[in-house]
Amino acid sequence: MANTETLLRTPLFEAHQALGAKLVPFAGWEMPLDYGSILGESRAVRNGAGVFDVSHMARFWFRGPSAAAELDHALGGCVTDQPIGKARYTMILQEDGGILDDLITYRTGEDAYFMVVNASNRVRDREALVSRISETSFEDITEDGGGILALQGPEAWRILRELTGQADLAPGFLDLAWPASPFGELFIARTGYTGEHGYEIFVSAEQAVPVWNRLLELGVAPVGLGARDVLRLEAALPLYGHEIHEAITPFDAGLRFAIKGWKTRDFIGAEALRAKGDSVTELIGLTAEKRVPREGYPVLAAGEEVGMVCSGVYSATLDKPIATAYVRKGAEGPFSVSARGKEFAVERTDLPFVPHRSRD
Amino acid sequence: MRPSDRSYLDSHEWAQLDGDVVTVGITDFAIEQLGELVYLDLPSTGTAVSRGNSFGEVESVKAVSDVNSPVDGEIVEVNEALPDSLDSLQNDPFAGGWLIKVKVSGAAALDGLKDAAAYEDIVASES
Repeated sequence: MANTETLLRTPLFEAHQALGAKLVPFAGWEMPLDYGSILGESRAVRNGAGVFDVSHMARFWFRGPSAAAELDHALGGCVTDQPIGKARYTMILQEDGGILDDLITYRTGEDAYFMVVNASNRVRDREALVSRISETSFEDITEDGGGILALQGPEAWRILRELTGQADLAPGFLDLAWPASPFGELFIARTGYTGEHGYEIFVSAEQAVPVWNRLLELGVAPVGLGARDVLRLEAALPLYGHEIHEAITPFDAGLRFAIKGWKTRDFIGAEALRAKGDSVTELIGLTAEKRVPREGYPVLAAGEEVGMVCSGVYSATLDKPIATAYVRKGAEGPFSVSARGKEFAVERTDLPFVPHRSRD
Repeated sequence: MRPSDRSYLDSHEWAQLDGDVVTVGITDFAIEQLGELVYLDLPSTGTAVSRGNSFGEVESVKAVSDVNSPVDGEIVEVNEALPDSLDSLQNDPFAGGWLIKVKVSGAAALDGLKDAAAYEDIVASES
């Protein structure tokens, strides 16, 4: 395999190898695509609990008395009114209102924000964010040897209690918690990327392997990035480079909730959002019979091209292909897609494909 | 090692000659690279095929891939049941998972294809 020497490895790299994972280059890291079955791993999360190594995701700290005010200006979301001990989903916008990335902020103290952004955008996000702050201290801890384990699925709450030994542990949706555990104090957030009840566990270099091993011992299935993509698309959670990118505004993407005070607040991109008219495209869901409508396939209505597929996977939960697509607003079906010169029928479907249970 | 009773194309198809008919399929390595299969598109009997050119498509959870013919000739039989029983292709690519049978001009139709040992080198280089 080319360039493996230059790829970064998470603290669980050897654990993945031992499990027979198919390891692939992803955003500069050597990551597990699957442990044998993308569909089987997807089902394990929906039916019980799975754990993903997402230690490739970029982790930043912002600290100092001006952190809240400066991040308020740097991000589309408002963090000043974010409660301490809560996570929040928002975005970094360009001046023109286009989406540079989506991210989660975690307020851990009055003057301390932790942030997780997409691995593929780490350097670019860092440059943009650092250029937007002046008084706030910034730290990129992505390569500190620690990582993130995402524990997801309807059994995740029970597993978390067993993992920590805290029988009453019950963080609410988007809550942060620092439970004691046999592995020392853990930093967890009730967040995830599957639409299921779940947690992201931020582990130190020393905690990563023991926590991972204990989760497997408790019957949690190891799940790769292939299934992660299936699960997030089933839940219609956007992915940078697909549903969201520089040429798309949060409004085009149907993600207005991630932006706060766009009519009144002063943040980078706000002016452009105020000046922009209504979106001319909309994000829709598609299902198909057999073939997967894949990224980049043109979407047709009555033979005319009306849009393009953003993401497509085979849904393990619905047992059929699903996709998202941007189409011209008001375009009416029946829709089809053109796959390598061959047309096949698709059906417009409400999003998400699989209902969210993350608040359950 | 893959079956030595047949020949192989670099793009992971196999060809087995019986009289003047060649049975064509894809190898277990191709299946392994593709992962879980979801769709197979095969042409109809009577279609002309030529070496190195696509005659069908196989799609998995991960990707869509062309299936290329290892030989020149005309399709005389298609494994019609296969698109609806992809398990056979997934689990038994060298026997029950055959794709098409092609009428060729004779044994020379396989000239230039790899034998099992040479194909093994290709697999090793792509593993």
